[in-house]
Amino acid sequence: MSEGTRQQPQNPFGQPIKGVSLWTDAWRRLKKNRMAIGGLVLVTLYSLLSLLAPLLPIHSYKHQVLSHQYLPPSLTMSAGQLLCAREEERLLDAAKNSGRPSLNDEEKEELARFTQTIENETMVFDGRTVSIHRNRYLLGTDALGRDLLARIIYGGQVSIAIGLVGTLTAVLIGLIIGALAGYLGGTFDYISMRVVDVMYGLPYMLLVIIFMAIFGRNVINLFLCLALVSWLTLSRVVRGQIISLKNSEFVQAARVVGATTGRIVFRHLVPNTLGVVAVFTTLQIPSFILMESFLSYLGLGVQAPLASWGSLVRDGVDGMNNYPWMLFFPGLAMTVFLFSMNFLGDGLRDALDPQSKNRL
Amino acid sequence: MQNEALLRVENLKTYFSTDDGIVKAVDGVSFSLNKGETLGIVGESGCGKSVMNLSVMRLIPSPPGKIMDGDILFHGKSILGMSADELRTLRGNKISMIFQDPMTSLNPFLKISTQLVETLRLHQGLSTGQAREKAIQMLRRVGIPNPEKRIDAYPHQFSGGMRQRVMISMALSCNPEILIADEPTTALDVTIQAQILEIIKDLTATLGTAVILITHDLGVVSGMCKRICVMYAGRIVERADTDDLFREAKHPYTRGLIQSVPRIDKVTQRRLYSIPGTPPNLINIPDCCPFHPRCEHAMDVCRRTYPAETDFGNGHSVSCWLPVDAPQKRGGSGGIE
Amino acid sequence: MTKYIIRRFLGLIPTLFIIITLSFFIIRIAPGGPFSEERAIPKQVLDNIEKRYHLDESLLKQYGRYVLDVLRGDLGPSFRYKDYDVNHYIGISLPNSMVLGLISLTLAILLGIGTGLVSATRQNSTLDYLSMSVAVIGISIPLFVVGPVLMYVFAMKLNLLPTSGWIMSGDSWKTMLMPVLTLALPYFAYIARLSRASILEVLRSDYVRTARAKGLSESVIMIKHVLKGALLPVVSYLGPAFAHIVTGSIVVETIFRVPGLGRHFIQSALNRDYTLIMGTVIVYSAILLIMNFIVDIVYGFMDPRISYR
Repeated sequence: MSEGTRQQPQNPFGQPIKGVSLWTDAWRRLKKNRMAIGGLVLVTLYSLLSLLAPLLPIHSYKHQVLSHQYLPPSLTMSAGQLLCAREEERLLDAAKNSGRPSLNDEEKEELARFTQTIENETMVFDGRTVSIHRNRYLLGTDALGRDLLARIIYGGQVSIAIGLVGTLTAVLIGLIIGALAGYLGGTFDYISMRVVDVMYGLPYMLLVIIFMAIFGRNVINLFLCLALVSWLTLSRVVRGQIISLKNSEFVQAARVVGATTGRIVFRHLVPNTLGVVAVFTTLQIPSFILMESFLSYLGLGVQAPLASWGSLVRDGVDGMNNYPWMLFFPGLAMTVFLFSMNFLGDGLRDALDPQSKNRL
Repeated sequence: MQNEALLRVENLKTYFSTDDGIVKAVDGVSFSLNKGETLGIVGESGCGKSVMNLSVMRLIPSPPGKIMDGDILFHGKSILGMSADELRTLRGNKISMIFQDPMTSLNPFLKISTQLVETLRLHQGLSTGQAREKAIQMLRRVGIPNPEKRIDAYPHQFSGGMRQRVMISMALSCNPEILIADEPTTALDVTIQAQILEIIKDLTATLGTAVILITHDLGVVSGMCKRICVMYAGRIVERADTDDLFREAKHPYTRGLIQSVPRIDKVTQRRLYSIPGTPPNLINIPDCCPFHPRCEHAMDVCRRTYPAETDFGNGHSVSCWLPVDAPQKRGGSGGIE
Repeated sequence: MTKYIIRRFLGLIPTLFIIITLSFFIIRIAPGGPFSEERAIPKQVLDNIEKRYHLDESLLKQYGRYVLDVLRGDLGPSFRYKDYDVNHYIGISLPNSMVLGLISLTLAILLGIGTGLVSATRQNSTLDYLSMSVAVIGISIPLFVVGPVLMYVFAMKLNLLPTSGWIMSGDSWKTMLMPVLTLALPYFAYIARLSRASILEVLRSDYVRTARAKGLSESVIMIKHVLKGALLPVVSYLGPAFAHIVTGSIVVETIFRVPGLGRHFIQSALNRDYTLIMGTVIVYSAILLIMNFIVDIVYGFMDPRISYR
C-alpha cells in the first residue's frame, strides 16, 4: 500500500508501472541468457586485452630471438631452463648412443659451460639490455623465437580491428543503400537490387583473392574488398524493414509537417531498424574476421611483421607435427572469440525479437 | 429437455508462466453448454476468452501455459483426463474449432482438398474418393461456387471470406456435436461478416450442432446466441439469457459495453461513450475485483476481495459487490431503451 | 510455373555476361599479363596467345571473339604452361572438386536437417542444448583450424587416416573422410540451426494449431504439415551455401592435397596465370548460376504461393 516515498509509481492493483524502452527491455532479456552473457564477458576481455596490449607485461611480438625458436609452452620453466634441459637431453642421447647410461665428465663440463653462457647472455632491444634467457614463454615460441602469447594478443588486435572497422564500413554502405532503396523505391531501388542480385551470383571470394593477388596485399585493399562484398545482406534486410515501416503513421505525420526525404529516412526510419542492424553487426564481425583470416592463411592478407590470427594459424600448420602448440593456441584463441561473438549475437537477436520465446 | 449438459466447464484455471511473472489468463471459469444451444462469450481483447476455449480442446502450448485447476466434462467424461488417442478422436470430430484469421489458419502449402480430405479420412474412415465427394458437398453447402474445381486450389487463391467458409466446412465436415468459433468474423470485412454468421447459424441449426461463439462484438452475439457470458480479466463477470442481458445488465462492465455500442436510432448530441481506463495487466494480479479501477461504483470491498456470484434466477447471475437495487449513477440504466 | 522458370533462367544471362566481360578486361589490364609491358613470359606461350587473341584486330572484335569462345566452351591457353590450355587443367581438376563439394554438402544437409528436427522436437532438453552448442562451435571454428587439427589427431598422432591422396586418383576411400568432414562441418552447423529455428516457428503457427484442432497425430502433422514449410529457408540457403563451399574447398584442398580446382587457384593467382584464373572464375560462376537456378526451381515447386501466381 502507499507509504512514504516509493521507488516506482503503482497502479490501483499494486503493480509497479514502469515504462520500458526497447533497449531496456532487450537488456533485461539478454541478462537472463547465460550463454550470451558469457559471450559478452569473453568478448570484452578480448577487447580489453587488445586495447591495452602495449601496456601489458608481455614480451614483444616482433623481436626475434633465434636461439629461442620452437620452445614449447611452459608455466614454470624459463627459456634458459628449457634450453638447458634440451641440451642435457641431447647430450644424454649422444651418450646412450655410445653405450653409456649417463654423462661422463667431459659432457658434464660442456653442459655446465652451456648453462653458464645461458645465464649471462644478453641482447639489446630498443636500447635496453635484457637477459633474454630469463624469459618465460607461457604459450611457447614460433619459428623465429617470438613469443606466441604476445603474437596472439597482437594478432587479435589486428583481427578484431579489421573485423570491427570492416563491419562498420559494410554496415554504413548497406544501411544507406538499403534505406534509400526501400524508401525511394522506383529506379534506384530496382537498380540497386539488381546489383545486389548479380553480386550474390558471383563467387566473390574468388574475385577478392584475384584482387588481392593483383593489386597488392595491404590492409587497405583488404578492407575495401571485404567491405564491398559484405554489405549485400544488410541492405536487403534494411530495405525490407523500411518498406514495411514506410507507410506507418509516424512517417505520414513527418511528411505532413514538411520533413525532407533525408530527414525522414535518417531521423525516423533508420533508428527503427537499429535492432536488426545491431544483430547483423554482431554476427558479421566474426564473419569478417573469418574472411580476413582465410585470406591471411592463404598468404594474401596481412603481411609480416604484422600478424593476424589467420597468419598465425598458417605458420602453425607448417610446423604442426613437431610443434603443435603453434597451431593449437592461435586456433583456440580465435575459435573462442568467434563463438563468444556468435553466442552474443544470438542472444541479442533473441532479446530484441522476443517472439521466439514466450509466445502465447 | 436435457438433464445433462453436453459440455460443462468447472472452475477452470489456465495460467502462463512468463519472464515477468504468472499470467492468470483464465482464473476460475465455469459454464455449461447444452445440446444444440448457441452460447456467446463476450469480452475485450486479452480477457481470456480464446485461452478458455483453447483449454477446452487442450490446445494450450504447454510450456508456458498450463491448466492448473478445474475440469472440463464432455458428456460427463473429463477431457483433462483423456489419453492422447482419446483426445485426437475428440478433436475435429466431436468438438471442432474455427479460428479468427483464416489467412494464417489454413496451411498455405497444401491444397484445400488435402486439408479437407484428411479430416474426413481420419475420423470417418472414408476412402479418398468418398472423402473428396463429401468435401465437395460441404463446400457447396457453405456457398463456395464451383466447388469441384475450387477444391484443388491453394488457400492463397481464395479471398478472406471464402477462406473462412472453407474453414467452416472443414470444421463441420465430421458433424461435430460442438463448434467453437473463436472470433470468426473479426478479421473480415463488415459486409462479409453477416454472410459468414448466416452460414454458421444455418448450418449448425441443420446439423444440430451446439455453438460457442467468442467475440468482442455485442452486435454479433445478440443476433445469434441464446445465452451470453461476459468475461473480464480471466473470469466470467455476468451470465444471462441474451434478452435478459440486454434488458437488465447488472454488472457495471456489461452496462458499459452495451452503452458503448453506437446507436443510429438514438439522436444524441453527447460524445460516444467508452469505458474509461484500460484492461488490467494480468501478471501477478492481486485478489480483488479486476474491474474496480474503471468502475464508477467501486467500493472498498471491491479492492480487497473478488466478488461472490449472485444468482438472480432464470440463469442470470453476476459477480459484483453492488447491492441488487443500488441506484444507478450516470449513464442511465445501461439497458436498451 | 513455366513462366517462372523462364524468368529465372533469363536472369542468369546478365550475370554471366558481366563475368565474361570482367574476365576479358582483367586479362588485359592486370599487371604482369602478356598485354602489359613486362613480357616475362616464355616465347612459346606468347606466340600461342598472339595467335589466339588476334591482337591485331580491334578491341571490340577481340571481345566478341572471346565471348564466343567462352560460350563454346573454349577458355583459351594458359599463361604459364605452354603445352596445355586452360580447358585441360580445369578438366582434370574440376571433377575432384565437384565430388568433394557435393558429398560434403549432401552430408551437411542430411545431418543438419536431422539434427535440427531432433532439437526442435525436444526443445530445451539437454540434447537440444548440446547439439545447438556444437552447432555454434561449428560455425565459429574456421576451416583452416579444423582441417589441420583433424589431420594432426587422426593422421599424425593416431595414424588412422592418410594425410593426403584422393579416392579418384585411385587411393583408398579413407582419403575422403577428413576433407569431407572438414568441409561439411560449418554447413551442417548452419543448417542444423536454421532447420531448428524454422521448424519451431512453423510448430507455433496458426495452421499447425488448426491441424492439431482437427485431431491429427503429431507425426502426421510433422511430416505433412510442418516439414514442407519449414524446409523452405533451408532450400533458400542452399544457393549461398554453394557459393561458400566453393571458397571453402580451396582451403580444404590445400590442406589435404586434394587435386581439385581450388588448389591450383591460389598458385595461379600468385603466378598471374590470368587465363587460368579467369577461366576458373567463369567455370565456378557458371556452376553457381546453374545451382542457384535449380534451387530457385525447387523452391518454386515447394512454395505454391510463388509459382501459381
